[in-house]
Amino acid sequence: MTNSLGDMQKSKAIIIFGSNPAVNHPVGFQHLLKAKERNNTQIIVIDPRFTKTAAKADIYAQIRPGTDIPFMYGMLNIIFANGWEDKEYINARIFGMDKIREEAKKWTPEVVADVTGVPAEKLIQITNIYAKNRPGSLIWAMGLTQHSIGTSNTRMAPILQLALGNMGRAGGGTNILRGHDNVQGATDMGCLADSLPGYYGLAEGSWKYFAKQWGVDYEYLVSQFKDASWMTKNGFSLARWWAGVQNVKNDEKIENAGTHLKALVVMGNGITSVAQQAKIKEGLDNLDLLVLADPFVNEAAILTDKKDNVFILPAATQFETSGYCVATNRSAQWRYKVIEPLYESKPDQDIMFELAKRLGFYEQYTKAMLMVETPDGKLAMKDKKTFTWPEDATDEIARIIKTIGLTGWTAERIKKHTDNWHMFDEVSGAGMGPMKGEYYGFPWPCWTKTHGGSPNLYDTSISVKEGGMGFRNNFGLEKDGVNLLAEKGSFPKGSKIETGYPEITKANIEAVLGITLTEEEKAACGANWKVDNSGILVQKALEAGVCPYGNAKARAIVWNFPDHIPMHREPLHSPRTDLAQKYPAYPDKANHFRVMTKYISIQSAKDYAKEFPINMVTGRLVTMNGAGIENRASKYIAALTPEMFCNVHPDLALKHGIRNGDMMWIHSPEGTKIKVKAKYSLTVLPDMVFMPFHFAGHFQGADRTGNFPAGTKPYASGESVNTVTNYGYDIITQIPETKGGLCRIEKA
Amino acid sequence: MEYARMKFYCDEARCIECDGCSIACAEAHELPVGISRRKVVTINEGIPGKEFSTSIACMHCTDAPCEQVCPVDCFYIREDGIVLHDKDKCIGCGYCLYACPFGAPQFPRDGAFGAKGAMDKCTMCAGGPLETNSKEERHLYGQNRIAEGKVPVCAAMCATKALLVGDAESISNIYRARVSARGKGANSPYGWDRAYTK
Repeated sequence: MTNSLGDMQKSKAIIIFGSNPAVNHPVGFQHLLKAKERNNTQIIVIDPRFTKTAAKADIYAQIRPGTDIPFMYGMLNIIFANGWEDKEYINARIFGMDKIREEAKKWTPEVVADVTGVPAEKLIQITNIYAKNRPGSLIWAMGLTQHSIGTSNTRMAPILQLALGNMGRAGGGTNILRGHDNVQGATDMGCLADSLPGYYGLAEGSWKYFAKQWGVDYEYLVSQFKDASWMTKNGFSLARWWAGVQNVKNDEKIENAGTHLKALVVMGNGITSVAQQAKIKEGLDNLDLLVLADPFVNEAAILTDKKDNVFILPAATQFETSGYCVATNRSAQWRYKVIEPLYESKPDQDIMFELAKRLGFYEQYTKAMLMVETPDGKLAMKDKKTFTWPEDATDEIARIIKTIGLTGWTAERIKKHTDNWHMFDEVSGAGMGPMKGEYYGFPWPCWTKTHGGSPNLYDTSISVKEGGMGFRNNFGLEKDGVNLLAEKGSFPKGSKIETGYPEITKANIEAVLGITLTEEEKAACGANWKVDNSGILVQKALEAGVCPYGNAKARAIVWNFPDHIPMHREPLHSPRTDLAQKYPAYPDKANHFRVMTKYISIQSAKDYAKEFPINMVTGRLVTMNGAGIENRASKYIAALTPEMFCNVHPDLALKHGIRNGDMMWIHSPEGTKIKVKAKYSLTVLPDMVFMPFHFAGHFQGADRTGNFPAGTKPYASGESVNTVTNYGYDIITQIPETKGGLCRIEKA
Repeated sequence: MEYARMKFYCDEARCIECDGCSIACAEAHELPVGISRRKVVTINEGIPGKEFSTSIACMHCTDAPCEQVCPVDCFYIREDGIVLHDKDKCIGCGYCLYACPFGAPQFPRDGAFGAKGAMDKCTMCAGGPLETNSKEERHLYGQNRIAEGKVPVCAAMCATKALLVGDAESISNIYRARVSARGKGANSPYGWDRAYTK
């Protein structure tokens, strides 16, 4: 998130799309409740379901799944028509807002009402409240991301904020509530199929930078691949790895160097909570080797019929190891070990070290922990033979990851904050005493080892030294003759340059900052600030009050995406066949994370709404987390939610002769089905059902819990809703479309 | 120094039905499944403007009806107002359940004299008549956190600090502070700035 949970106490309005913080972030939700209590902050919830968050909102709109873009264009339509946009801000800091203005004209409240199901008056009322109570904070979560148009959704929300001038302001920003503990850290570390750590991407230059920082030859890294061309290609993603396994029935072309995926190692990922469960089962069944490392039995082991070469490794919990994790507001916190690992369980890193030893690259794998930067821009070995975990790993990350400013995140500094957390303000995170000028956990970018972190991204009202900055210069200096840098007068407070400027490189630093480097400095610094081991480029920029990554415009137009501005496209399985024709899905995409991925060919294959007329959304329960195995292993939590269920409106249930508590079948267009307990609820409309995704152990009516090793069966088991979630993946990230699908129900 | 009576208060503007309190209670006192010393209830679920949740346990009444009706006189009220009972005297008749306005008394499923005795209810984490912090007390009544100077576990665990516990005066001070902070922030509904602009 650009701001922080505490910062929301400074918001005058908070608008929440596809997120349910009262359930998913109960402790963090405290800040929203306090904002309401202390500031009369207007809380607006847009969600297909009347959630616990909606119950605490001032105004709520029940939207049809997958229509957030029309809703936001509808808001912009009203904002532009009334001149409520922040014109000065748009001129100085945004590229391409005119295109958005054009598209927004089409989305009148009446058109929006037809597409979204939200009455025109409600849209007008919500827009009024949100536009007139600034700064406004915009929250989203998986309700925006898990769509075939997820990437467009997550571009649309910042555009709304930019139009209102809400970005880069305390109490404003786009605040994405992450799904799990340390998701921000996992993302920053590049636990993804399309990037090296720190968002360095997969370009050859990035590999060469990492080779140098890890102290290994680039050629050595190349030798680990089939050939160098595979280093720059996306791998299989978590959503569709199964498509690459031999003998999985699939008509979609695989591009994996003519070979198949043979082994799967899963560390702490509930892959039973990913869409297309039947396909996942097929993938698991056909692997040569399956390794599952978890504190509890990963239910992939229960789902598969595979008999040999399935290994379950007991992994330690977070209480049995130490190291830092990253919170949703980009800040770090140290965790100390509470107890030694129980029984034969091992922390994740020890499992990885042992694996690296067996595979013969332990030395290369761990070498970087013993390396340090020298002031002349070189790398040297530390004066010791063995590394200290996790301190040396922490310092390695700080040394290498410069793109997002982790330079200041040394183990010593992070521990200092954790040990003194009583010395920080609860709302702003600002430190006191020796931590004055620092923010709790040094929210990144934390540019140097003396920088105090940046509480809110893109805030120009404070200096770069205090955590201020403009938008990042990442896409060139101009596009089609239009300046991509910030306009004159828009710059972080106290800057020597009072206009936009490019990111700092060795070639441009003297001209941009108006300084002269000495010959030694020139020799020491790297090509640009992201690969500069000497730290001179960042240091000189900060001295001039200049942000190392530049001061540019935010892009409303993304010319390298299929839709240059966010466009509404109906879910692949839409209940409105008429609208699917008007707002069709993308063309099918070949080689999308190595597998052909279908869009329009699925959407146009048939009139799904006839056979599967009911919207299906999935989500969380407050008592559970992820695939739910550790929660269902608690007898008290299992007692609260002992069975997999489906929230169904009594009016819909009545049509199918289903009584409260009856068992019912959910049929999916995928040809799969699940048997669950009906639970009457007024939180859903009569044209939709809701199911939680925390259950597993049953598959299409069959109880598979007999597969649990003795003594490991949880107290509660049930069907996984992901057996019936529909096909559909985002066009850029390949995240599954679990928040907009269709189903048919019948009494069991 | 004088103390008021120990009280619970659940701020329904903050309660989000997360059940953190009831789970913490069950875990801390190792209750048999099915014994709910504390329960979160939601009224009017799914109806905009009318849905609210609150957490309920023994309210530790000043003039406790359970104590009034008990035929074997097993209840006793501590000086600080915490209502406790002696499980060795209790016969499990259930009169207290009839008398209690809050549904607090709980009865084990495994017979009248199961793992947690005849009748079980919230002790405000203050144990029972057996020796303080002894194994026996812990077995029959659960943790005695009050004796250890700790806040009862339900309120300690409350995610949004909706559930408050302590002597009534402290509770009312906390709640008063919340009420008086209302409208003092960025979006004050009244005052000069709002009425006449800055």
